[in-house]
Amino acid sequence: MSSAGSLQGEAAARDPHTPSPTLDRPDDYLHAQSTLRSWFLTTDHKRIALLYLASITAFFVVGAVAAGFVRLALVVPDGAIMTNDTYNKAFTIHGVVMVWFFLIPSIPATFGNFLIPLMIGAKDLAFPKLNLASWYVFMTGALFTLAAVVLGGVDTGWTFYAPLSTAFSNTWVLPALIGVTIVGFSSILTGLNFVVTIHTMRAPGMTWFRLPIFVWTHYATSLIFLLATPVITLALILLIAERAFHVGVFDPAYGGDPVLFQHLFWFYSHPAVYIMVLPGMGVISEIVPAFAQKKLFGYRFVAYAAIGLASVTFFVWGHHMFVNGQSDLASLAFSALSFAVAVPSAVKVYNWTATIHKGSLRLDTPMLYAMGYIGLFVLGGLTGLYLATLAINQHIHATYFVVAHFHYIMVGGTVLAFLGGLHFWWPKITGRMYSEPWGRISALFIFIGFNVTFFPQFILGYLGMPRRYATYPPEFQLLNVLSSAGSTILAAGYLFPMVYLVHSLWFGRRAPGNPWDAKGLEWETASPPPPHNFAGVPRVPEVPYDYPIQAPETGRQHT
Amino acid sequence: MKAQSALALWPPAASATAVETDHIILGFTVLTLLLTVPVFLAITYFALRYRQGEVADRTTDGRRSVLIEISWMLIPYVLTLFFFGWGAKLFIDSRHPPPDAMVVEAVGRQWMWKFQHPTGQSEINDLHLPIDQPVRIRITSQDVIHALYLPALRLQIAALPDRTTEIWFKADRTGTYRLYCSEYCGTDHSVMDGNLTLMTQAAYQDWLTHGGAQQSNVAAGRAIYESYGCAGCHDGAVAGVKAPALAGLYGRAVHLADGRTITADADYIRAKILNPNANRLAGGGKQVMPSFAGVIPADDLDRLVGYLKSYHRVADGETR
Amino acid sequence: MSADPAAAGPVGMTRAEHFATIGQQRHAATLGMWAWLLTELLLFAGLFLTALILRLLHPEAVQAAAGHLKFWIGAANTVVLLCSSLTMSAAIELSRLGWQRMMVGCLVATASLGALFLVLKGYEYYADYEEHMMPFLARRPYALAEQPATRLFVNLYYVATALHAVHLLTGIAILVGLTWKASRPGFLQRHQNWIEVYGLYWHFIDLIWIIAFPVLYVVNR
Ligand code: HEA
Ligand code: HEA
Ligand code: CUA
Ligand SMILES: [Cu+2]
Repeated sequence: MSSAGSLQGEAAARDPHTPSPTLDRPDDYLHAQSTLRSWFLTTDHKRIALLYLASITAFFVVGAVAAGFVRLALVVPDGAIMTNDTYNKAFTIHGVVMVWFFLIPSIPATFGNFLIPLMIGAKDLAFPKLNLASWYVFMTGALFTLAAVVLGGVDTGWTFYAPLSTAFSNTWVLPALIGVTIVGFSSILTGLNFVVTIHTMRAPGMTWFRLPIFVWTHYATSLIFLLATPVITLALILLIAERAFHVGVFDPAYGGDPVLFQHLFWFYSHPAVYIMVLPGMGVISEIVPAFAQKKLFGYRFVAYAAIGLASVTFFVWGHHMFVNGQSDLASLAFSALSFAVAVPSAVKVYNWTATIHKGSLRLDTPMLYAMGYIGLFVLGGLTGLYLATLAINQHIHATYFVVAHFHYIMVGGTVLAFLGGLHFWWPKITGRMYSEPWGRISALFIFIGFNVTFFPQFILGYLGMPRRYATYPPEFQLLNVLSSAGSTILAAGYLFPMVYLVHSLWFGRRAPGNPWDAKGLEWETASPPPPHNFAGVPRVPEVPYDYPIQAPETGRQHT
Repeated sequence: MKAQSALALWPPAASATAVETDHIILGFTVLTLLLTVPVFLAITYFALRYRQGEVADRTTDGRRSVLIEISWMLIPYVLTLFFFGWGAKLFIDSRHPPPDAMVVEAVGRQWMWKFQHPTGQSEINDLHLPIDQPVRIRITSQDVIHALYLPALRLQIAALPDRTTEIWFKADRTGTYRLYCSEYCGTDHSVMDGNLTLMTQAAYQDWLTHGGAQQSNVAAGRAIYESYGCAGCHDGAVAGVKAPALAGLYGRAVHLADGRTITADADYIRAKILNPNANRLAGGGKQVMPSFAGVIPADDLDRLVGYLKSYHRVADGETR
Repeated sequence: MSADPAAAGPVGMTRAEHFATIGQQRHAATLGMWAWLLTELLLFAGLFLTALILRLLHPEAVQAAAGHLKFWIGAANTVVLLCSSLTMSAAIELSRLGWQRMMVGCLVATASLGALFLVLKGYEYYADYEEHMMPFLARRPYALAEQPATRLFVNLYYVATALHAVHLLTGIAILVGLTWKASRPGFLQRHQNWIEVYGLYWHFIDLIWIIAFPVLYVVNR
C-alpha cells in the first residue's frame, strides 16, 4: 500500500516516510509566529489545544501530588502521618482537580481541539474566538479553585453534598464551588463549538458515515456537555447561594431536601463519566485499526454505540443513591437501566477485539496503551455492574470497591487512552518522534503499577473498608501498603513520558507526515500541519478506515 | 470476629442475607470471567498470532456481521440481567421488615452514633444485638448526612437529617464485628465507628439488665465530649477561646468569683454544663459557653459527667 | 475577517476566513446560538423542576409564599417582554429589507422595554422588602417565619428571577453595543445576520419569563 492520497501541493510530491524538515519550513503552525502574544491570543485550534495540554498537565501534577498525600497517609492505619483534616483536604482536592481540571477537558480540549478540524477537513473550528475564550474561562475557574487550595483547602469531597458543604464545613468551599461552576461554562463552550463544527464544517464528501469514530465520540460527548452541564451549573449556583447568602433550597433546617442536591449533582455527574470515557473510546478506535492495519470492525455499530451511550447515560443517575433513602421503585429502575448501559459498551469492546483478529499488528507504544485500556476498561466496567446490582451495592457502596471501580475506568481507561493518543499523535502535533523503547517501558510501568495500586482496593472494599477514611482498622493495613507501593511504580510510569516527550521536542527524530501508515485526513497533511491545516481542499476517501485489510461491513457493503 | 487476620480476603458473614449476597457476587464473578477471559485471551492471542511479519491467514470470509453484533450485544446482557433480578429481590427483601422485628432507634451526629434499645437503654458508637431475632433499625441524623454500615451483615443505609430511613436484618452468628459511618460527614468521619456485638438472646437480656448497658462507658463519654463541641474550647482547639482545661478537674478545689471555694464533684460539673452562668469562676474571662439545658439528653449528660470524672491529667499531657 | 463583501446589495455579510461559504457561516452562527439556548433552557428547566418538586413536598407553604408574589407586576412584566419581542421581530424584518434607520429605532425600543422590565422587577423586589419577604436578611424579621418551609420557595423565587434578570441585563448590554454598531453606515451589508442571531437570544429571554411567570406566580395561587 502507499498512502499517496495527499492532494496537498508540497507534501504530495514527498515520500511520506522522509521527515518533513521542521526548521526549514517555518510556515507550520508551531513556527509561523513565535511571540508570546501569538500564543496567548491565538485563534488557531491547534495552538489552543497546546494551551490546554500545558494546563491540564499542570493540573494532573497537582492532582497527583494530592494522590501522593492520600497514599502516603494510608500507609499507617492510625492517621499518624497527617491529621484527619489534612487527609480530607487531600482527597477532596485530588477528586476536584482530577475530575474537573484534568479528566473532563483532557481528551476533548486537547486532541478534540487539535484533531476535529483536521479529521473533517476544515480550516478551524466554527468559532475560533470562542475557542480561545473557553480556555480563558477554564483558567479563570482554575484560579478560583487553586485559590481555595492555597488559602487552606476544601474538605467536602468532590461531590459537595449538602448540608455538609452549605452549613457545616468551615473550609474554603465557596471559591472551590465558584471555580467548578466557571469551568462548566468552558465545557459548554467547547461542546457547542464541536457540535456546530461537526455539523457545518465538514469538507465536501465528508458524510456522517465517513467520519472517524473519534469525531463521533466527540460529537456524543459534546451533546452531553450541552445537555448535562447546565444542570450542575444550576445545582452549584443554588449551593453557592445557600452557603453565601442563606438563599437556597437544600437546607433541612427549613424542610429543604439535601437529597435533591444529590439528584441534581448526579444528573450531571453520571453523564459526566461518559464525558470522561467516550473520547477515550474514540482514541482507541483510531489507534486499534492503525496498528492492526485493518478496517474498524462494525463501524456503524461503534458509531451508533457512542450516541447510544450518550443517551442512556442520562437515565441512570440514581445508581449513586441506592442506599440514600430513594424509593424502591426508583432504585429498581435505575439498577435495570444501569445494566442497559453495558450493551453499547460491550459493542465497543468486542468490535475492537474483532478488529485485531486477522490484522497485521504492530505493538508500538500507542497500541500497548490501547490494549491496556481495553483490559482495564472491561474490568472497571464490569465492576460497575456489580455496583449496579442492588444487593451488592448495599454492601460495597461508599467503600474502596467504588474507588477501585472508578480508577479502573478513569485511570486505567481514560488516562491510558490519553497517553496512547498522546504518543499516537505526538509526531503530528510536534513534528518529532518520541523514543519508542522508553515509550514501551513506561507503558509497562503504568500497567503494572496501576494494577498493584488499585486491584487490592477491590478486596479492601469487599472486606468493608469505607472510602474517605483518614484512619482505618489495622487489619486493612497490608493491602493498603501494597496499594501505596504500587502507586510509586505508577508515579514512575507517569514521570518517564514527561521527560522523554519533552526531550523529543529538541532531540527527537523528525516525523514524516504519516509515520504509522494510518488513515484519516489528519495524516494527509504535513507534520506539524500548516496554520490552516490543508494546502487545498482535502480529498475524502470513499470509506472510513480504508486500511489494506478490510473486514466485511454489516452484510451490505462488500469489499 | 473483630480480630481479623491481616490477610483475610473475605469478610465474615453474620446473616443469611450476607451469605446470599456473597453468593451473588461470586456467581457474578464467574459470569464476568466467562465474558472477559475470552476477550483477554483473544487479544493476547491475536496480538501474537497476527504480529506484523508473522505468516498467518489474513483473509476474511465475508460473514454477515450484523448477526455477530447483535449476539454479542444481547447474550451477555441477558445473562447479566439474571443477577439484576437476584440482587433486586434480596434488596427489596431487606427493605420490608417482618412485623415481629424489634426496633432500635439510631441517631447519627458529627461524629458519633447513638443507639436506643426498645427497652430504653442507649449506647454510644457500639451496638449490642441478639441473634435469631429480626431487628429493625430506624435511623436519622441531627446534622449532616451519615450512613450506618454493617459489613458483617452486608448492609448500609443513609442517616438523613430530615427524615427517618430504616433497614432490617436477622443475624445468625455471634461475635464482634465492625460498624462504620460510610457517608463522608466531615473531619472525623473515619472515627465515627464502633463495634457491633451479636450475642445469643440470653446474653443480650443479661447485657441489657446488668451488663454494659448500665455502665457509663468512658469511650462513649469521650465521643459525646467531642460531639457536643466541649473539646473544641476546653482542649484549646478553637483559637481565641480561653476555656479552662477540664483534665483532672474532677475532685479538685475550684475558686469562684464570689469568693467561695468548692470541690468540683459530679453535681458541680452537671450544674455547670446546664447553666454555665451560675458559679462564675474567679478570674474567668467573658462567659461564652452556651447552656446545654434542653440540648443534651439526660443519658448523654450522665456519660459526659462520667467521662469527666475519669479525665485525668497525665504527667506527659496524654489524657486519653 | 477578510474584507470581501460576498453579497452585493444593501443586505449581506462578510465571510470569515475559515469558512468556505457564506451559507456555511450563516448556518454555523444560527446553529451555535440554538445550541447555546438549549443549554440555557436546561439551566432554567432545572430551576423550574425544583420549584415543582418543592410544591409537591410542601404544598401549603408554597401556596402561602406564592400568595405574597406581586401577581400584577409579574403580569405587566409579561406584557412588557412580549412587546419587546415584537419590536425585536420588527427589527429583524427591517434588517432583511435593509431599512437601517427604522431597524435601529426598533432595537432602541427593544432595549428600552427590557429596561422597563428591570425597573418593574426592581420595584417588585422593593415591595417584597417592605413586606418582610426577604428571609435571607438576618436583621429583618421574615413575614412567614412561622412556616419555615415557605423560605425554600421564596429563596427559589429570588434565585430564578435574579438569574433571569442577569440574563436580561446581559441582553440589554449586548443590545446597546449592537445598536451602536448597527447605526453606522454599511452595517447591514457586512453583518446583517448578527441581528438575526441576536434576535434568537432575545426571544429566548422572553420565553424563559413566559415559563417562569406561570410556574412561580400562577400555578401556586
Ligand atoms: C469514566 C468514568 C466512569 C464510567 C465509564 C463508569 C461506568 C459505569 N459505572 Fe461508575 N462510577 C464512576 C465513574 C465511571 N463509571 C465514578 C467516578 C463513581 C464514584 C463517584 C463517587 O461517588 O465519588 C462511580 C460509581 C458508580 C456507582 C455507584 C457506586 C456507589 O457509590 O454505590 C455505580 C452503581 O451502579 C456505577 C456503575 C457503573 C456502570 C454500570 C457503568 C457502565 O457504564 C460500565 C459499562 C462497561 C462494561 C459493562 C464493560 C464492557 C463490556 C463488556 C466486556 C461486555 C460484556 C458485558 C455485558 C454486556 C454485560 N458506578
Ligand atoms: C479522574 C481522575 C483520577 C485520577 C487520574 C486519579 C489518580 C489516582 N488516584 Fe484518585 N480519585 C479520583 C479521581 C482520580 N484519581 C476521584 C474522583 C476520587 C474521589 C474523591 C472523593 O472521594 O471526593 C479519588 C479518590 C482516590 C482515593 C480514595 C481516597 C479516599 O476515599 O479516602 C485514592 C486512594 O488511594 C486515590 C488514589 C489515586 C492514585 C494513587 C492515583 C494515581 O493514578 C495518580 C498518580 C500519582 C501518584 C502515583 C502519586 C505521585 C506523587 C508524586 C509525584 C508526588 C509525591 C508527593 C508526596 C508523596 C507528598 N484516589
Ligand atoms: Cu458520619 Cu461519616
Ligand atoms: Cu454513575
